[in-house]
Amino acid sequence: MTVSEGGTVLVVDDDREVVRTYRRYLESTYTVREAYDGEDALAELDDDVDVVLLDRLMPGLSGEDVLDRIREEGYDVRVAMVTAIDPDFDIVDMGFDAYVTKPATREELLQTVDDLLTLDQHAVDVREYHSLLVKASALQEGKSTYELEEHPAYADLESRIADLEATLESETDRLTDDSRFVATLRAIDTSAGRGETDG
Amino acid sequence: MAEGDSRSDRYHLSNTLPVDIDDVAPGMNVLISGPPMSGKRGLVFDLLAPEGVGPDPVVVMTTDDPAERIRTQFDDRGVRIAPDAFRVVDATGAPGDSDSFVHRVSSPADLTGMGVAFTQAVDQMGTPDRLRLGFVSISTLLQYVDAERAFSFLHVLSRRTSAAGYLGVYSIDPTTHEERFVNVVTSIFDAAIEIRETDGDRELRVRGLSDVPSEWTPFPY
Repeated sequence: MTVSEGGTVLVVDDDREVVRTYRRYLESTYTVREAYDGEDALAELDDDVDVVLLDRLMPGLSGEDVLDRIREEGYDVRVAMVTAIDPDFDIVDMGFDAYVTKPATREELLQTVDDLLTLDQHAVDVREYHSLLVKASALQEGKSTYELEEHPAYADLESRIADLEATLESETDRLTDDSRFVATLRAIDTSAGRGETDG
Repeated sequence: MAEGDSRSDRYHLSNTLPVDIDDVAPGMNVLISGPPMSGKRGLVFDLLAPEGVGPDPVVVMTTDDPAERIRTQFDDRGVRIAPDAFRVVDATGAPGDSDSFVHRVSSPADLTGMGVAFTQAVDQMGTPDRLRLGFVSISTLLQYVDAERAFSFLHVLSRRTSAAGYLGVYSIDPTTHEERFVNVVTSIFDAAIEIRETDGDRELRVRGLSDVPSEWTPFPY
């Protein structure tokens, strides 16, 4: 499933050739930004960036340092680690949402970005589902079934709720993947926006 | 909801409930709702490890009592469960010793942390095919995160266990929340068990299971 056309991807690697290659793979589908070290990456990052492809080993700030800063700042962004070797450590514990092994093919890169954007969309859909259920519940209060059936807004609401339910259920099986499950929760955690602490 | 629930896959409940339900399908999520001091917690634990049923691995996620107290309350019921098949995700932020059965999270506001701790707990038990997850309680969670995020978290967690064929049992005190929130959150669950007290007598009813009538039934302490 591709829901992700039009996102913004920040590619971070100290090897300019790698950045150029990834740009070529991605730019027909996404808006691409580039950074060649950790400081650059943090400077390029803003709320428009949806996905960061982050090289693990860079001079200066490492990928892990950059990740820590991104999480501290509370950016609502998904971060994939790009690494030359299969990680023998737990990416879930480290706070990455996914990883890609170098050299990444076009297919792998597009798939990773698409997966992360789908997961982001899942968090958005659950929120939307909640807000529709709240609206439906408000309409139900003090109304008979007959009155509700006659209410055009209610029928519309019901069908939107059913659609979203189907979409959410179709994603359910993928949640048994630990990193995807945790990344989805992280998307929920960060979705409120930076610095916001409502509750 | 979950597929392939042949008899043997089902989660046996023994005689925990005073109604005619022997077992539930894998992947189910059940909400236990009742006022304070009505024995919700006890019922959650009874459904996680019913008397006389070969025990399944259990994870209890707590936002309310710390792990040590959960363990004591769980054990006090007299149902034996092997130490390596029991884990607590303690999100109360309470300090404690680094016990092997406890996975600590700094606060119920850290939804990601609770998810990570859950995956670690399941991983350490060898990713079993069967597992019963208890969550106590939704009411406390709501003191730390807004309704929308609490709902989102519960939705994702319940779907994750459902996809794995696990049983989920969550508790809520409906008297401390707006009725609208309770209605909305209830829709996440496949079935709801409500507890009430009238004139000192405890009653229970089950909603959402098609083969069980949803009538109030005496449920003595």
